Amino acid sequence: MRRLSRRLRLNEPQLAVLFLLPALFGLAVFLYYPIGRTLLFSLYDLERTTELSSERFVGLQNYAQVMRTAQFWRSFGYTLYFTLVSVTLEFGLGLGMALATFQVIPALRGLLRAIIIIPWAIPAIIQAAIWKWLFNSDVGLFADLLLRTGLVQEPPLFLGTPLPAMHSVILAYVWRGAAITSIFLMGGLALVPRHLHEAAMVDGARPWLRFRRITLPLMLPTIMVTLMFRTIDALRAFEIIYGLTGGGPGTTTEVLSSFAYRFYFSYAQFGQGSAYAIVTFALVMGLSWLYIRRLVPHLQLRGQSG
Amino acid sequence: MSHPYQSRHARHARNRSQRGSHTRHLLFSLLVTALIALFSLTPLYWILLTSLKQPGSEFQKPVRYWPAEISWESYQTVLGPDFRMQDAIINSLIVSSCVTVGALFLAALSAYAIARLRFTYKFQSLLLIQAAGMVPPIVVIAPTFVLVRSLGLLSSLPGLILPNIIYNIPLSTWLITAYFAGLPFELEDAAKVDGYAPFSIFWRIMLPLAAPGLFSAGVLAFLGSWGEFMLAFTVSLGLPEAQTVPVAILSFSQAFELQWAWVAAGIVLSLLPVIVIVLIFQRHVVQGLTAGSVKY
Repeated sequence: MRRLSRRLRLNEPQLAVLFLLPALFGLAVFLYYPIGRTLLFSLYDLERTTELSSERFVGLQNYAQVMRTAQFWRSFGYTLYFTLVSVTLEFGLGLGMALATFQVIPALRGLLRAIIIIPWAIPAIIQAAIWKWLFNSDVGLFADLLLRTGLVQEPPLFLGTPLPAMHSVILAYVWRGAAITSIFLMGGLALVPRHLHEAAMVDGARPWLRFRRITLPLMLPTIMVTLMFRTIDALRAFEIIYGLTGGGPGTTTEVLSSFAYRFYFSYAQFGQGSAYAIVTFALVMGLSWLYIRRLVPHLQLRGQSG
Repeated sequence: MSHPYQSRHARHARNRSQRGSHTRHLLFSLLVTALIALFSLTPLYWILLTSLKQPGSEFQKPVRYWPAEISWESYQTVLGPDFRMQDAIINSLIVSSCVTVGALFLAALSAYAIARLRFTYKFQSLLLIQAAGMVPPIVVIAPTFVLVRSLGLLSSLPGLILPNIIYNIPLSTWLITAYFAGLPFELEDAAKVDGYAPFSIFWRIMLPLAAPGLFSAGVLAFLGSWGEFMLAFTVSLGLPEAQTVPVAILSFSQAFELQWAWVAAGIVLSLLPVIVIVLIFQRHVVQGLTAGSVKY
């Protein structure tokens, strides 16, 4: 490559294109092309096949057909509910844990950070397996605690009845999500200058007032970015549902992603599955665009143009 | 702390109250750490506990909260000829190592172009790369399956490695771009004066300076591809040749719904590498994750 660039006497823009090409080519093959393909799939009637032929073209019928079913709207509703509740809980827990790392004695800070970060490192599908065992209605931790404290006579089927299952999935998801939320917020908290707090302390400001008037305003950009990022992640959650309940009981914990997967690989209905996937895509990318537009200008780049 | 005009009596009183508040702060710190540990580590403790039970005794009551007697039998079973958990771990190590190297190489090239070279459509290129990072996996999985099949790579490690390299480009590019952007521009100007060719400036001068950024990006790419599930599950076709750790654990937990000691032992073994990595590289992980507060 060095000899090549010397022989060709590349100028800076040409070198930039050469450097960007491999990554952009890869993204085109494994991300942009498949997105286009899925969009096309969603316009065809594809049962047990992914061959696009003109007689299978159905226009927007897959969308119309899918949107006529109660299942679609229920999973759409659950996707939104799952996102709203889990992002809220994650934020509360994450903020609490992040604040705690700045309050404890310095000797414990590193340990505390390590403890907080561990759930994040566990792959989502393995986390689902762990929580499946915790939620076991016979000898699981939660069932046993409920029995021992005498709160219930008969432990509920955490994953086998609709309402508990919908919330068990959220709880398991929040366990890992709170970890990453907390790490993000720690980054924001580290940016709050100490001397502001000290000055306010001299003026006799109580902790709550200092949090509201100093910490919160200075952290607002970090909080916005964190909330956006966590919302995007929750909207496309798949593993925790697939591994914990498989969408059941019935289809009560099915989100758009897991429903699409079911259409693809259980029903072999690639057209309708793609319609579900495209709806997910639309939800996520709208928000992602806002998020990225907010982040990208933060980088100070040389010779930025266009 | 002590003030020259303070009376001895006042100084004593102050020391005493400070000592009191130190003790209180220590107690508070220990309490908070214990509470957070309870939240973060209980699920893992529960799995560890189960993995040490005598297989077959998982459903015995009353439920015990500490090991009565420790049995390593489940570990022997999952590492034995019928399960061969180590194969999945080796597969995952191969996949994640290749993905890390590949993603870092491609991302470093594009990050250097974006952060250091002058060209039009720079902003748009970065948007194009970052937007790709937000795409939900479900949107690409079906066509990717067809694509990997047509390349003849189903149920093979390269079939997992190639797409996963690409999936990690956006985050890696972002982290390395942020790092490159922070280096002084005089470096390249000086190198140019010294007669370095453009590629040498990148390879010999800038890349070594960006090593900390590369390292953070590398740790995150490794962990990301270690946990990747949807593609690994779909492309492996459930065959052991290309099973990575997440796929193996899912199939264990579905096949042995009553042998939780085995499943738990598999989970513990599969988590050891990631937990070790996270604890050793904690600082890099946190730095990577909070650099511009982006992404997982």
